[in-house]
Amino acid sequence: MSRHADLLELQDLDLLLRMLGRDTCRTRLRRVGFSFDGPERLARRRERLAARIEPRWIGPYERAAGRYGRGLVAVRDRVCTGCYITLPTSSTPETHDALTLCESCGRILYWR
Amino acid sequence: MSTGSISTVFDTSLFIPELRYGRLEPALGEMVTRAARAGCVSAHRLLRGTLATRERAGSTGIGKGAALPHARSVHVLEPCIVFARSKRGIEWDAPDGDPVRLVLLMLSPAELTAEMHVEWVARGAAVLRLQRQRQRLLDAGTFDAVAAVFGEALA
Repeated sequence: MSRHADLLELQDLDLLLRMLGRDTCRTRLRRVGFSFDGPERLARRRERLAARIEPRWIGPYERAAGRYGRGLVAVRDRVCTGCYITLPTSSTPETHDALTLCESCGRILYWR
Repeated sequence: MSTGSISTVFDTSLFIPELRYGRLEPALGEMVTRAARAGCVSAHRLLRGTLATRERAGSTGIGKGAALPHARSVHVLEPCIVFARSKRGIEWDAPDGDPVRLVLLMLSPAELTAEMHVEWVARGAAVLRLQRQRQRLLDAGTFDAVAAVFGEALA
């Protein structure tokens, strides 16, 4: 299990909340046949998760999420998938499952 | 990034003719593990949690014995679908209460927009919409027969 499981779960939960928060997405999903009855439960889950995350990560996460929508993004081929800048070799962590900050956009980078 | 066509992200390694597990969460786990083996997913345990959270927002059972669990996640490397069947059926809290016998798991990377993900899921739902397509999917003896139903439904 990842050392950063709570933050990663928070990112996926925020993606879901954002999708369900958009009228166009919710309407389209309802037309497919889905029903949504538990968004309050998800909001409570979000609060609990956010409270468990270390301040050094939750601060930058919330700032970047507020600004761009996604506070944490994966690194793909040494590229930040938030701002698409190529990251310097020196910023590559020694192990996978690591987090760093993108010096260009401030998002949290997830090195899978 | 785009989802591409469903036929380009569905291959024989992503087809489970008969799920081993008869309950929702283990069945989803089996499907996610299959996606991970195909190289579409990085952290399959965490992705299982994401899918469980999605179920808590409302069942992904769409009735008539079909379910469309789906997630947009930082753990998904490439758009991916896994299709599975369960002869005995799985309790999925579907609106009509029917057990689910056809499951189409649709996974998108976080980079995909919410709108693109939803559109992709809607295209997947088209495969399961008609009774005769569902029956053909239940009866299909080979991956090619399943792929043919997908191809026709999405043509």
